[in-house]
Amino acid sequence: MDKAPMIEAIGLSKKYEDGVLALDNLSFAVRPGEVYAMLGGNGAGKTTTINLFLNFIEPTAGEARIDGIVTHRDPLAAKARVAYVSENVMLYPNFTAMQNLEYFTRLSGRPAPTPEALHRALLRTGLAEEAHHKRLRGFSKGMRQKCGIAIAIMKNAPAILLDEPTSGLDPQAGFEFIALLKSLRDEGKAVLMSTHDIFRAKEAADTIGIMDRGRLVMQRTAGELAGEDLERVYMQHIAGHDGLAA
Amino acid sequence: MLKLVIQKELRDILTSTKFIVSFVSCALLILLAFAMGAAGYRADVARVEAARRENLKQMEGLTDWMMVRNNRIFLTPQPLASLVAGVSDDIGRTMEVRGRGEMPQEDTRYGEEPVFAMFRFLDLEFIFQTVLSLFAIVFAFDAVSGEKERGTLRLSFANPLPRATFMAGKLAGSFLALAVPLLVPILIGCAVFTLMGVPLTTDEWMRLALIIGSGLLYFGAFLALGIAVSAMTRSSSTSFLALLVIWIFAVLIIPRSAILIAGRAVDVPSLDDINAKKFRYAEQLFAEDRAAMNAFSPADRSDPRKMIEEFQKFMGNINDARQKKMDEFSSRLNEERANAQGVQSSVALGIARISPATCFTLAASALAGTSLALQDRYIAQARAYQVSFAKFILGKTGINPGGGMVFRMRIGDGEQEKPIDTHELPAFEYRRPVLADVLPAALPDAGVLAACVFLFFAVAHVAFRRYDLR
Repeated sequence: MDKAPMIEAIGLSKKYEDGVLALDNLSFAVRPGEVYAMLGGNGAGKTTTINLFLNFIEPTAGEARIDGIVTHRDPLAAKARVAYVSENVMLYPNFTAMQNLEYFTRLSGRPAPTPEALHRALLRTGLAEEAHHKRLRGFSKGMRQKCGIAIAIMKNAPAILLDEPTSGLDPQAGFEFIALLKSLRDEGKAVLMSTHDIFRAKEAADTIGIMDRGRLVMQRTAGELAGEDLERVYMQHIAGHDGLAA
Repeated sequence: MLKLVIQKELRDILTSTKFIVSFVSCALLILLAFAMGAAGYRADVARVEAARRENLKQMEGLTDWMMVRNNRIFLTPQPLASLVAGVSDDIGRTMEVRGRGEMPQEDTRYGEEPVFAMFRFLDLEFIFQTVLSLFAIVFAFDAVSGEKERGTLRLSFANPLPRATFMAGKLAGSFLALAVPLLVPILIGCAVFTLMGVPLTTDEWMRLALIIGSGLLYFGAFLALGIAVSAMTRSSSTSFLALLVIWIFAVLIIPRSAILIAGRAVDVPSLDDINAKKFRYAEQLFAEDRAAMNAFSPADRSDPRKMIEEFQKFMGNINDARQKKMDEFSSRLNEERANAQGVQSSVALGIARISPATCFTLAASALAGTSLALQDRYIAQARAYQVSFAKFILGKTGINPGGGMVFRMRIGDGEQEKPIDTHELPAFEYRRPVLADVLPAALPDAGVLAACVFLFFAVAHVAFRRYDLR
């Protein structure tokens, strides 16, 4: 029997005050132990979807649910069950990696972590030990990204939202990130990842959804996409394109 | 969770370079204010003591108390005035007591040292009012908008963090991180004050503590205002600009404009006008008396001593009557002017009180005993002294002093006249107000400052409830 969805959008729509329809009747579900990649260009509605799951905005129609909790009805309960890593992780520059990690772990409602637990989480992301007690001020984007993922690990939430997590990472960091993502999936986390990196999406996702102008225009599992050129599929579904073969 | 946000705010502020630079600058200024205040107080005490000695020295050698015509009294320096100058440098510190009539105030500090009037003094009130309010703004302008720009706001609210908790943590954390460290240089300053030999009574220590408390409320008001503006703007540069404009209006424009508006709205007769009226009335009275003097004819012309005594009595009565009329006329003019001034200052302060800077200045100067009430208190005490001085001279000579020319004739009996003992002269010591005297005046303004903290925090809270966290 299928597990209950951990991250779920049901007829989710968002129309801004200026009349722009950012999201149009979006529905999908991410189950525990599954990575769902939302592919799409700029303005496709990926970040709007994440914002709705974090209750930074409220839907015009439909529901965003985390572990069955409607985010705009009980945002605090929903947020306690979700971890979030942004495209460009920004932490407190005057704090060390350990201090940032400790603060955000406690902010998630978890008890104060031990230094050993913090070290383990940072090492798991691949952040070298000598950087653990350094201030974030001098960290590269990749190092900050690792800290962001460590925060998600420490929160130990059943749902993880990743907004363009591999954007700007060098190939090795990108590879390490995908390996980590897979290990989180293996632990039973439900992961929703927005990206426009087709290669990483194909590599890590169990399900891929293609979004265009606020609508989910394609959704297939990794198995269904096996043997297909994802780039070609993507271009076929983007409005105004007839695919590479055309 | 509130404790966690407060701890984060404390750590974030205390480990920033901005805090270290700003704190060191403010701490040095505070210490400088205490040290300069103590040095200024000691110099003032020495100056007044020297002036008192000189006053008595000028009387030495006189053989008749009627000849004591230049008895000067001095406003005793107050230790707290060296920290919150208020109007103490603007009012005349010396008065000449003749025994009756008006006692013009002379010798203002700024009159004596006009260069200081150009830029005023660097006292504790100035540091709180101007420097620390800016210090609060520098740390509050990006409290919310800066977190949004840095991206930490988004990450924070991806957690089950209530907005009200975040906002309360921001205000409490910022206040603790910025205000509590300021207490360190203030306490060191108090120690410097004591070590430099400035004697503060228990009552004055309590008043100083309340001045500092008012300063911290004022600081908290600007901090809450900064956070509120930051929660209403999307970028920290907009927030800073808005706060700078508000600060300029609150600290520099509103208090001055209020005085100008009140000056236009309420007409107060000038001192020149009043003095001219008094002069004309005095001339009129003297002309009337001159006719009576011309008509004076002693009843007994055989005895010169009796003749002089009769003339003296006649002159004394005329002088007394003239002075009484003059006093009544003067006090009526003075009262009219004081009433107009009272209305003017009520209008001015009423307008100016919309600025927390005015409320702090009024609360601090009231507590220090250097508010506008200082002048009235000094004059009231000087008048009371004049009465006791007049009684003393009357007791010594049998004649009311200060009534104009007095003829004294001594028929040679060969006896050597003894010089007067100047130590017998009643001493004037300005009685400083105590806490119970100043508290009623200071409490309303301190209350307004506390209300400002709550109001601005409420505004910040409401603004942040609608803040776009994306």
